[in-house]
Amino acid sequence: MKTLSITFKDLQIFFKDRGAVVQLFLLPLLFIVVFSGALAAIGSGGEEDTRILLPVVDLDGGEAAQTLLDGLDAAGGVRVESYEQAEAQALLDENKLARVLTIPARFTADIADNHQVTLRFVNHPDADPEETEVVRLVIEGVAQDMSLESQILASLQQMGAMQANAPEEFQVFTAERTMAQARSQFERSRTQPLVAVVQTVPGQPEGEREEMPDAVQLAVPGFTVLFVFLTAQATARSIYDEKRVGSFRRLLAAPMSKASLLAGKMIPNFITGLIQTAVIFAFGIIGMRLLGLTPMALGDAPMAVVLIAVAVALCSSAFGILIAAIARTENQIGGLSSVFLWVMGILGGCFIPLFVLENFLGPLPKIVPHYWANRAFNDLLIRGLGLADVTVEMAVLLAFTALFFVIGLWRFDFD
Amino acid sequence: MPAILEVDGLVKKYGDFEAVKGVSFSVEEGEVFGLLGPNGAGKTTAISMLTGIFPPTSGTARIGSYDITTQMDQVKKINGLVPQDLALYPTLSARANLNFFGRIYGLRGKELKERVEDVLRIVALTERADGTIEKFSGGMKRRVNIAAGLVHQPRLLFLDEPTVGVDPQSRNHIFESVMRLNRERGMSIVYTSHYMEEVELLCNRVAIIDEGRIIALDTIKNLIAMLGGGVIHVGLPQVDETLLAQLSALPAVKEATLVPQPIAPPPAEGVEPKTQEREPVAAGEVVKIVAEHSQQAIVNVIGFLNEQDISLTSLEILEPNLESVFLHLTGKKLRE
Repeated sequence: MKTLSITFKDLQIFFKDRGAVVQLFLLPLLFIVVFSGALAAIGSGGEEDTRILLPVVDLDGGEAAQTLLDGLDAAGGVRVESYEQAEAQALLDENKLARVLTIPARFTADIADNHQVTLRFVNHPDADPEETEVVRLVIEGVAQDMSLESQILASLQQMGAMQANAPEEFQVFTAERTMAQARSQFERSRTQPLVAVVQTVPGQPEGEREEMPDAVQLAVPGFTVLFVFLTAQATARSIYDEKRVGSFRRLLAAPMSKASLLAGKMIPNFITGLIQTAVIFAFGIIGMRLLGLTPMALGDAPMAVVLIAVAVALCSSAFGILIAAIARTENQIGGLSSVFLWVMGILGGCFIPLFVLENFLGPLPKIVPHYWANRAFNDLLIRGLGLADVTVEMAVLLAFTALFFVIGLWRFDFD
Repeated sequence: MPAILEVDGLVKKYGDFEAVKGVSFSVEEGEVFGLLGPNGAGKTTAISMLTGIFPPTSGTARIGSYDITTQMDQVKKINGLVPQDLALYPTLSARANLNFFGRIYGLRGKELKERVEDVLRIVALTERADGTIEKFSGGMKRRVNIAAGLVHQPRLLFLDEPTVGVDPQSRNHIFESVMRLNRERGMSIVYTSHYMEEVELLCNRVAIIDEGRIIALDTIKNLIAMLGGGVIHVGLPQVDETLLAQLSALPAVKEATLVPQPIAPPPAEGVEPKTQEREPVAAGEVVKIVAEHSQQAIVNVIGFLNEQDISLTSLEILEPNLESVFLHLTGKKLRE
């Protein structure tokens, strides 16, 4: 109860501090909107053609391929240019082209036969991930439209043929049945699209290729992790303030253990971290929709998302104790927090997708807890994996928590 | 009266530095006991050990029959601490602060509410209870600081320099509160200060502490009696053992000794030495004369010096108070 009294008191103090509330709750929302909105704005410039170049190798040359190319050009955001296959490959290898879309041979014929076809979208490892993301969205959108159109048309043709051959069974094809068939094809075009897009990055095995999530799916968990860890600064500052004004001595003189005291100082960070996660995720799902931007998807394992959020908040709380133990002055708290928390955030994939970071930093990002938190959220929210698939990330986050807490306790100056 | 606090050879070391050098004293139940000493004398360090903020390096103490080295959990329930700092949360109200400090001592519900109202009455802040601390004057903050140490009704209250930075009106308020707590509720109080007037006003007995050691402990009356009929500082151009013996032998003079002059530390290499590290009492040397009767002693000393054709460079008659006792015992002023 005494621990909870400290917790309650600290939360009271925290929520009276408008600056801290703005920094930890509103700032991440602003970051998310700007980050996501910036992507949406690409390609919507003025007279200058700012569209992203999309080199296309058309191995089919048929009517459907042309429809696809026209659709890509008309979609906005990308500028289609045709290349020969060898030339495109050579330019891609030299990094003179950032990406190439290949339309396979028999594309038109397979669509006509209602057989699934695959467009290959190859990116250079150094390609700008945000541009890649925009282009991928355009290709997938156009491909989805084509799938839908082809599948519904094929379905209606099939029904028409059946009706022509069996006029006595005319009543079978009522308007309701026709609409139900159309809906079924619409659903199928979403789950089993006729035109699929496979994205690869040379040098990465097919099985390990990275999915290219949209900006919101990256921004929401990334900034959540960044700002939940920034709460550690508030914990360190709160302990410093207690020591500065002398109330820490008063707490030490009270009938409670040092462990209870530190727990009381950690729990507000933990609760604030969980509230932050809930607020930022809610904004990602609801707020982004209200703003007319793509909302975030919560994945297939919301319970696992909650558990990772708990682990991240715990880790941040322990890190707060560590900063409080190391820093001796207010300036040191500010300095250490800025250096550690922001650098760790950048290194851990809060601003830049992990696969991009790993391409040029190798295994370095793995030394920070932010990396494991982002990796777990990416697995759950983007890849749709479950709790069993993020046990390693969870274990590493808990190990970081224990490490921070033990070092913090060891270095903590109670005197 | 049984002792509520018995301190036995308490020591605190920080590396090679010994902040408290084996202090021993006891405080009786219902007594207001003073710890008088200059800043850095070791008062706060001693209190910190007695209130469980950190353990002693050696030695121990018993508070209400509990040993501080082995039963600190029990000791903490008996103790109340009013630290020297304004140990409050400035963005919270006075009431919220007191509620919090009551809760960490295990008070809940109606009992907590009643206790908070009671201590607000004691420090005369009931009307301002819902104002935030940051908007209070220095004196009001000091009063809330005291209330926070009282909310759980301690048997033994440690007041560590409770009037630092306080205006005279609030200081009087604090004195009244301390006296009422002792008189009406029988609370035992250990009061530390470097203001001898406060200690003289409030305390029954006083321990004078300097450089981590208790150098005198008695009632104020007995401590002042150490000065005999008074103490006179006489500045002379030159003093030798013969002159000191002659002065000691004068009628109404109890003792004449040379006041030790502080020795300046050796200057660093290449640095010009300073002539004096502190302001001198007088040019030449100073003789301290403990008198059996101060007026008679002055007449006799001046007459003798005239006969010997020795001129005085200064003459200072010390008031019979704790400040003079401290100067008498250490050669230093309390507020140096």
